[in-house]
Amino acid sequence: MADDHEGKRILVIQTHGIETPTRTYSPVFYAMAAAAMEIEVMLWFTMNGTNQLRKGEAEKIQLDPTSNVNLKTMLNMAMDSDVQLRVCQQSLELWDMKPEDLIDGVEILGATSIIDLALNYDHVMYF
Amino acid sequence: MSHENLNGCIILKDLHYSVADNTWVKVNDDGTVTVGMTDVAQNLAGPILHARTKGVGTGRRKGKPIATVESGKWVGPVKSPISGEIVGVNEGLEADAQLINRSPYRNGWVVKMKPENLDAELADLETGDAAVASYKAKMENDNMAGCTHIEGSDTYE
Repeated sequence: MADDHEGKRILVIQTHGIETPTRTYSPVFYAMAAAAMEIEVMLWFTMNGTNQLRKGEAEKIQLDPTSNVNLKTMLNMAMDSDVQLRVCQQSLELWDMKPEDLIDGVEILGATSIIDLALNYDHVMYF
Repeated sequence: MSHENLNGCIILKDLHYSVADNTWVKVNDDGTVTVGMTDVAQNLAGPILHARTKGVGTGRRKGKPIATVESGKWVGPVKSPISGEIVGVNEGLEADAQLINRSPYRNGWVVKMKPENLDAELADLETGDAAVASYKAKMENDNMAGCTHIEGSDTYE
């Protein structure tokens, strides 16, 4: 039987990107699990995590070659589950990315925002 | 029980379906309803690893989760197709969540509910040939080739 987590909020921080494919799926999967449990969840990308949000990159990350699921599929499923995707504005510059380089559905926030979020959410998960 | 086989995906015609959410409702003689996932849903999820139901006594509005289900490639809610109170859960899923894969319409049911507004909400669901037509359209629209079943799944003649 599931506990009632309705109304709780979790912030998931992803710092790993396309150079480490095996570290990309799980944070997205956990975010989807939290959303399925009626938890409000935000997936925040910073450092290397930002590079998977460049258009065309996530499609190349496919851990199981026999599956039709790639990282872009996972990100889409997360957004369909009402997971909010956010990216650190400062990290875009690290990867020489412009807002128009991002996949659809991702909002850009600055560094002070993540401090606000971390203080206000019920739990923070770092990856 | 009359059924349709759409490229391996079984649709039982006497159930009421939320085609969008891939759930079914069966109206029981005692006024309760049984709710479960469809054959299409179990196929999309793949072999299910865990199913966690909400507890007995939980009130649910239509569209709110009655369970969360996870497989190796997917995790998501089972959205209630009707409003009401959960009055029974399938205890067998805790030990063997793949009951949903093998028997989505029988032993793999998810919860039983006491409905609040059944007549009105049943009208929003699809049944019989209309449900079959909707699933056929959905499968074509989603480029879904058909359903596969794990060993030991229910068979329909």
